[in-house]
Amino acid sequence: MKPFDIVIVGGGGAGLYAAMEAMKTNPSLNIAVLSKVYPNRSHTSAAQGGANAALANKAKDDTVELHIFDTIKGSDYLADQDAVEVLCSEAPKIIRELDNMGTPWSRMDDNTIAQRPFGGAGRPRCCYCADKTGHTILQTLYEQCLKKGVQFFNEYFALSLSVNGSRMRGLLALNIKTGKVEAFASKTVIFATGGYAKMYWNRSSNAAGNTGDGQAIAYRAGIPLKDMEFVQFHPTGLRKSGLLVTEGARGEGGYLINRDGERFMARYAKEKMELGPRDLVARSLETEILEGRGFDSPAGKYIHLDLTHLGADLIKSRLPQIREMSMQFEGVDPIEEPIPVRPTAHYSMGGIDTDNFGRTVMGGVYAAGECGCVSVHGANRLGGNSLLDILVFGRIAGRTAAEEVGKFAPGIIPESEIAEKTEELRSFMKPSGHYERYGALREELGQTLAMNVGIFREAPLLRKGIEDIAALRDRYQHVRVFDTSDVYNTNLIQVLELKNMLDLAETVAAGAYAREESRGSHTRVDFPVRDDEKWHKHTVATLENGTVTLGEKPVTMGRYELQERTY
Amino acid sequence: MTVTEPHIEEAKKDITFRVFRFNPQIDSKPYYDDYTIQVERGITVLRSLNYIKEHLDATVSFRAFCQAGICGSCAMRVNGLSKLACTTQVWEVLEKCREPNVIKVEPLRNLPLVKDLIVDMDPLVDKMKHYSNWVESTMPEEKMGKKEFLISEEEFLKYDKATDCILCASCVSECSILRANSEYVSPAVLLKSYRMNSDSRDAIHDVRLAELVKDHGVWDCTHCYRCQETCVKSIPIMDAIHGIREDAIERRGMKDTSGSKHAEAFMSDIEKKGKLVEATLPIRTNGMAWTLKNLLPMAMKMIVKRRTPPPPPLVKPTKGIRVFRSMFREMSEHVREDHKSHNK
Ligand SMILES: Cc1cc2nc3c(=O)[nH]c(=O)nc-3n(C[C@H](O)[C@H](O)[C@H](O)COP(=O)(O)OP(=O)(O)OC[C@H]3O[C@@H](n4cnc5c(N)ncnc54)[C@H](O)[C@@H]3O)c2cc1C
Ligand code: SF4
Ligand code: SF4
Ligand code: FES
Repeated sequence: MKPFDIVIVGGGGAGLYAAMEAMKTNPSLNIAVLSKVYPNRSHTSAAQGGANAALANKAKDDTVELHIFDTIKGSDYLADQDAVEVLCSEAPKIIRELDNMGTPWSRMDDNTIAQRPFGGAGRPRCCYCADKTGHTILQTLYEQCLKKGVQFFNEYFALSLSVNGSRMRGLLALNIKTGKVEAFASKTVIFATGGYAKMYWNRSSNAAGNTGDGQAIAYRAGIPLKDMEFVQFHPTGLRKSGLLVTEGARGEGGYLINRDGERFMARYAKEKMELGPRDLVARSLETEILEGRGFDSPAGKYIHLDLTHLGADLIKSRLPQIREMSMQFEGVDPIEEPIPVRPTAHYSMGGIDTDNFGRTVMGGVYAAGECGCVSVHGANRLGGNSLLDILVFGRIAGRTAAEEVGKFAPGIIPESEIAEKTEELRSFMKPSGHYERYGALREELGQTLAMNVGIFREAPLLRKGIEDIAALRDRYQHVRVFDTSDVYNTNLIQVLELKNMLDLAETVAAGAYAREESRGSHTRVDFPVRDDEKWHKHTVATLENGTVTLGEKPVTMGRYELQERTY
Repeated sequence: MTVTEPHIEEAKKDITFRVFRFNPQIDSKPYYDDYTIQVERGITVLRSLNYIKEHLDATVSFRAFCQAGICGSCAMRVNGLSKLACTTQVWEVLEKCREPNVIKVEPLRNLPLVKDLIVDMDPLVDKMKHYSNWVESTMPEEKMGKKEFLISEEEFLKYDKATDCILCASCVSECSILRANSEYVSPAVLLKSYRMNSDSRDAIHDVRLAELVKDHGVWDCTHCYRCQETCVKSIPIMDAIHGIREDAIERRGMKDTSGSKHAEAFMSDIEKKGKLVEATLPIRTNGMAWTLKNLLPMAMKMIVKRRTPPPPPLVKPTKGIRVFRSMFREMSEHVREDHKSHNK
């Protein structure tokens, strides 16, 4: 393969926008998009709610300024204010751009793009397409990329960066269909591989492949990760799968009930009850379960989300999706029985540390989307700001890489590196006396994270979590891939993804242990208040001598002073 | 003490999954492996396969990603019908087992087999490209981002359902024409083409349409409704197919002969395979290109509606022909009337 100018890893919203923008910036560049799934399968398609932009179609008095303030407050003041300014001021432009390219936005009576209210936003500024916003955005971008003739390498699994000294020279990837390791020599690489919340496995709303591959690859190449301890939990995930039951269910009047038949939210949020803010409701559910008032089942402990009193008509007309989901994934019809739910890991605020242009510390390496951390979400992301983030910063990263590509010389990846990598992968398949099963390790990882690095964190639990993760990383040395075939070896892919989750889990736990305060999604029972004096800063994780080392970075402030976050 | 819901404990069954296996590196032909596991109520086919892969046989290969029915990765045939493994409850397909409690799991049809339950999606992507399945905006790129198009709710509703498509290829797998002709446009691509052609922001409506009426295009469809019955998102695909045809007749009139020619070729194809001979007979005796092009598809649709078995397999000749002929006459009337009212 002839060397590339830009290799983009990831075909979600961030990766596709980066590809389009890079081509637009400089049409003569040789650009590749690698994706382990067909781009239209990426997790961006799961976003239902919408994307925020102060278009002021609905609330005429909405402004970019208000959007900036909501975002900074929502982040519990950990977001970098200059980055938030970029995010919010680019928002109207990018939403219109999508419209101009064919995204089927829902419409208002005056035929403009429809907007609706969303958590944490002072104005209804969430632009949507029914309940399939992410899906239609991703479709539009994929279609436009096909139109432009973007070179896709579908079902390629990125393995590692090729680095010589401090010079990045490209990427190694596994061609899933053939089982061959292939070299992608390139002047620049953009990571857009999505989030890492799937490390919580059955207690995550994410796709099976949201395993933080890009973050782990960058981390192993010496690139720092930022704010990894911040993982957002959603209160109502299905018990068996962690899949999301959207807020709509509670919005329509659903009750949360514990095993004593009690509407326990009365104890946590007397007035708002089930409709309190996301993190508060999540913490309340978790408390009930931890204090033994949950239900038990082989698939884990849970709480009832009861809709039965709403009646068949209302459920059928207003909540058809939720009904379908609980029937499909739990075998429970909410007209007749309550839905078993528990909090679920939903979004990763942390990621590859970048500046406002998507640059990392390593020349020629960029990151964008959920896998990057600019940071615009700080300690807590607002609903509807993530789709926006991937679009805005995906585009910026694509443009920046295209503009800067001349600074980097074309790399050559030596054959020996491919051979070594191939050997490394083969070694998982060698029969040995003692071996570990992938499934067991992954299950234990998810469990220890949920138990010890979950919604409620405190020193003894975190220490336990850190120990468990270290032990799992040791055991991983003996993990065995039983499928020895080359063609489409999903067993091998799973094992490689597990490695990425294990490496990142260590950074999440280390960050959570170090951060002795409660801020946004990070709740320390032993340090229940926000400590601006000591902790108004980002944590930065780097890999040194095989384990995580933590550093810190100041938060960029701007117009908005620190304030208490109350709603 | 813990409280356990009774149905979870009780509702358990031993289920055998009969899984289609093929590894191109070793196997000369496909075979089936049986895996028997205990399944409780509420478990999906995909979760069962995951369990099998993790506990019984790590080499069983299939695709899955979102596990929530939104990404389209996990389409496969379960007891002979194409559907998403991740949204299909084991309990729900038990009724359709030939052998009690044996569920057959196979890859999609009409796409090249890669391994076990995995098929190659590239041919579908190539077709999306061939039929320009994108909006070619009327707005030049450098003007984009400044102002939004004004679009009515009415227009949005025209393509709202079509944009639900997750490209899972279940419809592709069930399409009766694709089995005979792999170059056929495919139901999902027709659906997407229709969606693009209904969008007022799009500038290449006529180019796309010109491609759609060529060989292997929209006229090849037999209106068998299989795609629509299969669609995992319940999208009325046939509306799109009708929409394109109406549009073609309206905009291009009767000038496309390639469509009818191809319909003829298709019919002889089927004839060679010994299927649907009764359907081809009256057409041959009528012999007019126009009738072929305009009536055959609708007549076929009626066959399906009247619950006469759709192609294949063969229906009993004598009775079938009589039914078909009367329908054929009826349809001719309808179309004539339609055209009259159109011309007013
Ligand atoms: C259930 C759910 C609902 C949500 N709802 C909303 C919402 O309403 N509003 C909102 O703003 N946000 C929402 N989000 C968050 C938002 O959807 C995501 O943050 C966003 O889509 C991430 O986009 P991305 O482009 O960064 O990554 P993704 O879309 O996850 O794409 C990652 C890409 O990287 C590729 N990749 C990964 N690893 C590799 C590898 N090793 N090799 C090659 N390729 C690789 C994948 O194939 C994929 O193409 C929701 C999230 C979830 C889980
Ligand atoms: S109706 Fe047409 S497109 Fe649909 S399955 Fe039948 S032949 Fe294929
Ligand atoms: S039309 Fe329906 S069945 Fe066909 S690919 Fe789209 S979602 Fe799947
Ligand atoms: S795994 Fe995504 S649709 Fe089934």
